[in-house]
Amino acid sequence: MKTLEIKDVHAKIGEKEILKGLNLELEPGKVHAIMGPNGAGKSTLSKTIVGHYDVEVTEGDILYKGKSILEMEPEERALEGIFLSFQHPVEIPGVNNAYFLRTALNAKRKHEGKEELNAAEFLREMKKYLEMLGMKADMISRSLNEGFSGGEKKRNEILQMLMLEPEVIILDEIDSGLDIDALRAVSEGINMMKDGKRSFLVITHYSRILDYIKPDYIHVLKDGRIIKTAGPELVAQLEEEGYESIEEEA
Amino acid sequence: MKLLDLKQKTVEEAAALLGVDPKAAALERFAAIGLPTKKSEEYRYFQIEKLFEKAYRTLSYVPHPIEESDKIVITDGMVTHAPKGMRIYYEQCQAIDMEHFDPLYYLGHLLSPHVIKIDLDGDADVEIEHRYTQSGALINYRIVLLNQANRHSTLFESFHAEDISDTLVLYGYDIFVAPDSTLRMLKNQNMHDNRYAMVASHRFKLDQRANAVIKSFDMGEDMGLQLIKAELDRYAHIDAGHLLYLNNEAQRGTVSKIIHKGEYATSHQEAKNILDGHSRGIFDALIKVEHSAKYTKAHQNSKAILLDERAYMAAKPQLEIYIDELEASHGSTTGQLDPKQLFYLRSRGISEVEARKMLVIAFANTLIEQVKDHRHQELIKQTFDEAFYR
Repeated sequence: MKTLEIKDVHAKIGEKEILKGLNLELEPGKVHAIMGPNGAGKSTLSKTIVGHYDVEVTEGDILYKGKSILEMEPEERALEGIFLSFQHPVEIPGVNNAYFLRTALNAKRKHEGKEELNAAEFLREMKKYLEMLGMKADMISRSLNEGFSGGEKKRNEILQMLMLEPEVIILDEIDSGLDIDALRAVSEGINMMKDGKRSFLVITHYSRILDYIKPDYIHVLKDGRIIKTAGPELVAQLEEEGYESIEEEA
Repeated sequence: MKLLDLKQKTVEEAAALLGVDPKAAALERFAAIGLPTKKSEEYRYFQIEKLFEKAYRTLSYVPHPIEESDKIVITDGMVTHAPKGMRIYYEQCQAIDMEHFDPLYYLGHLLSPHVIKIDLDGDADVEIEHRYTQSGALINYRIVLLNQANRHSTLFESFHAEDISDTLVLYGYDIFVAPDSTLRMLKNQNMHDNRYAMVASHRFKLDQRANAVIKSFDMGEDMGLQLIKAELDRYAHIDAGHLLYLNNEAQRGTVSKIIHKGEYATSHQEAKNILDGHSRGIFDALIKVEHSAKYTKAHQNSKAILLDERAYMAAKPQLEIYIDELEASHGSTTGQLDPKQLFYLRSRGISEVEARKMLVIAFANTLIEQVKDHRHQELIKQTFDEAFYR
């Protein structure tokens, strides 16, 4: 069974239609990269999957493990296992990073019928991942994303991903604003999540991130639709010839 | 006693009604500015006239023997408990501010000819608990507080009430912050279900290089207004923060005037307001920089979150500046919870209800976590939680 099936989805933000009959299937254990020019609808696609309030789906359906998620609230989609690493994670002064993540993790554990973690158990887990990602220990006590550098914000997204263990992972421009060291740390975190079951949707402008996270499929998104799907070899063609050279598949 | 009877009275008539000396300086000033009305600038957002129309039972203020305790307890306007060795006296106030903007500051002094004077010794850490037990009453008292030069004191105020329905509390401080000293004053209030009203009219006088940190955390119901006048001498600094969390029909807030008199004085004033139900929040605050106050730094900001469409925030930060050599800013925003923040939390599996709670608490925490003393911070957080989950 496909993990996620996006079927002829039309979606608009305000009065503007952005996705115009988009079809895409994510396979278990595979890394799907979405590439496309500015304004193609890449971020709208990620917002549509997670149920962002900006987006209104006017036609089509999105199935997760065979079940439609369009009527589900964002938190229900998250609890079911869909995770979006945001391009621009929002800062929330006053919300402690560890408290936030423990609340999220325990909501998920409760949803799965598992026992909630107490503060000490949670902190042990969190510290383990902080170290793995090369993050400072003060991330525990700082407010969520407040005053974080671009790299720290992205690492914090990956920290959440690692701890929440989602099944569909959407990475929206995860490489933007990262230096080489941060990119390597973030990529290592993502690669650790590969277990042959999880599906990854890597949304990117540039091929750089794909040197670190090897894709199985490249999908070209243009004007609200996937116009081509191919193997990783397509990256080189895109680098050389740009998006203009890509013809829509029949 | 009905306070409305004092409206538009001459000095002699007011003196007869209040039973005070017609020559009292405070009386002349009170009669000159008159009982506030809904048109009075400082009470324009607060239904003060409603309080004057009621008839209150007046109390007799006979000093009690003071019991030893770890804190100062003022019960219905009289000191009933105090730590051993604490210097507390009843005496006539020798230094009434003759330029206060609030008529009820003068009325408070006239009704309380003997103020409670507290001398803070050394680096004192004092708690004052205000207890109220009388319903249908006018409870009035004033406190004069002095600290010592080069010392750092903390004053934590808490409030407890039994049945005080239809009671009006008029209280306030005259606080003199000595040169090179620091006074931290924390007000933690969460009285509810009492149908009471409180008007607290304060005066702060900061001497040279004095530092005052005044933080009020008001999570009460019913009606309450604090009116603050603060004067800053050379190099003095005031850091004022006001948190309001209101629900139901509560009508509460702060009216303040911070006056920069000396050079190089600095002020920072911040209000965080969370309004639910049919409540009304007030932040009407002026920072005035006089000709003599060159090289002032003054910053003022108010932020409000409305959790219900019926809630209303009256925010009016103002600067009145008479010099060019200064740094100053002010601003005010009123809105709902940030949808981006709300969505971010929900996208991690946190329910909307829980996410909203987290954001409201986070907004309050930005002010609560400025309280340096961990014990006080925890007490305030606890009070906030009690109000929030009430």
